Amino acid sequence: MNVIVINTARFVLFVFLQIFIFNQIEFGFGIHLLMCPLYIMLLPFEINIITLMIIAFGMGAFVDVFSNTYGLHASSLLLMAYFRPSIFKLFAPRENYDVLKKPTFLDMGQLWFFSTFGTLLLIHNVWFFMLEAFSFSGFFYSIQKVILSFIFIYFLSLLLQILLVKRSKN
Amino acid sequence: MQQLIAFFRRFRVFLVFIGLQILSISIYVQYLSFPNSQYLTSASVVGGKFYGVRYSIMKHFELENSNKKLQDENVLLRKQTLNNLYQINRYKFHVADTVYEQQYDFISCLITNSNTSKINNYFTLDAGELQGIERGMGVFSQKGVIGVVHNTSAHYSVVKSVLTKDINIDVLVLPIGLYGFLKWDGKDPRRGTITGITNDLSIKKGSKVVTRGGAGIFPKGLLVGYVEKLLPVEGKPLWEVVIRFSEDYRRLDRVYVIKNLFIQEQRLLENEIQKENTRQ
Repeated sequence: MNVIVINTARFVLFVFLQIFIFNQIEFGFGIHLLMCPLYIMLLPFEINIITLMIIAFGMGAFVDVFSNTYGLHASSLLLMAYFRPSIFKLFAPRENYDVLKKPTFLDMGQLWFFSTFGTLLLIHNVWFFMLEAFSFSGFFYSIQKVILSFIFIYFLSLLLQILLVKRSKN
Repeated sequence: MQQLIAFFRRFRVFLVFIGLQILSISIYVQYLSFPNSQYLTSASVVGGKFYGVRYSIMKHFELENSNKKLQDENVLLRKQTLNNLYQINRYKFHVADTVYEQQYDFISCLITNSNTSKINNYFTLDAGELQGIERGMGVFSQKGVIGVVHNTSAHYSVVKSVLTKDINIDVLVLPIGLYGFLKWDGKDPRRGTITGITNDLSIKKGSKVVTRGGAGIFPKGLLVGYVEKLLPVEGKPLWEVVIRFSEDYRRLDRVYVIKNLFIQEQRLLENEIQKENTRQ
């Protein structure tokens, strides 16, 4: 019950932040602050993949309605959600995941967080910016967007976790 | 039958994934190609309301700037009317009245949401069908051209701005009067390019670029920007003319929508020619 309440509140918070703050910040150089992947990342370990995909799609659709992007966010978040369980399995620690822990860098360590969230974010960003360009003509500019946005989103995600998430006991 | 159920069981996750993915991409592609789908845009009522609220908070930060802009424009207008009062006498005024018929009507709006860093940038306006805005009308601000209305609802409308890939507004380079199409490369919100200008004529840097008014969307002579540099196009006798926009699209606030009162007439006439051509 508690988990559902927390994650619903976080859903509202992330959609709100994305639409009214991160979408309005324009650094130039092709840097977009797409923070919704962090929400998908922070959902509990044991969540069912179909639920996960529906949440991701819903969140993407919400953001799309408010930023005139017509299914772009929905599609890329969905792709990321689809890959999340397999990437988690790939980088699982030797004694498997502890049910009491959360998929944050505070609980699981910097290295684990970088490899899982990094891979997922890369998948998300590549899909997002390639679909946005919708052609290979601006290929290098898209690559620049993917990499620069990746760096900014990653560091902002660490910061947001320090602010939003509590370290689990033990 | 059982095998079919077993198949669905096995690939359940993948099927859900593919289904949702096809849904989202088809919405995306559909909207890119034509804007008939009214759902999933900020012209939809909910989105428009939210941005209205946000704008009502944010507008106070821009008050000083927009007041100054309005004052400048007032001064300009006052100058023009005074000139008219002094120059036109009564007799001429009557003649002018029958000679000139009003062709363009202007509707003033506020921009409630805008982006400039995407590949295709759309702006949301706070006026819609109720104010008489229709698809395909031009939008400009006092400093330059903004774009073309792309989609409307009762209270809001979405403008396809100059900062989109396939905007293709026809423009004139003054004073030589060459014309070409305005394009944007998706990178710098301060610069655009004009294509279709042959390289046998020289163009001075800093020459004015204005709208041509051919399609009846914009009146002739609205400012677009100034020529910044000329780049040769490889293998073709053409210049790629880089221009600097006169309007800063990152700081837009008050804009005007242009209603061409003769547009029906022009379209009808042009369609007749097309019909004749196809018949021959």
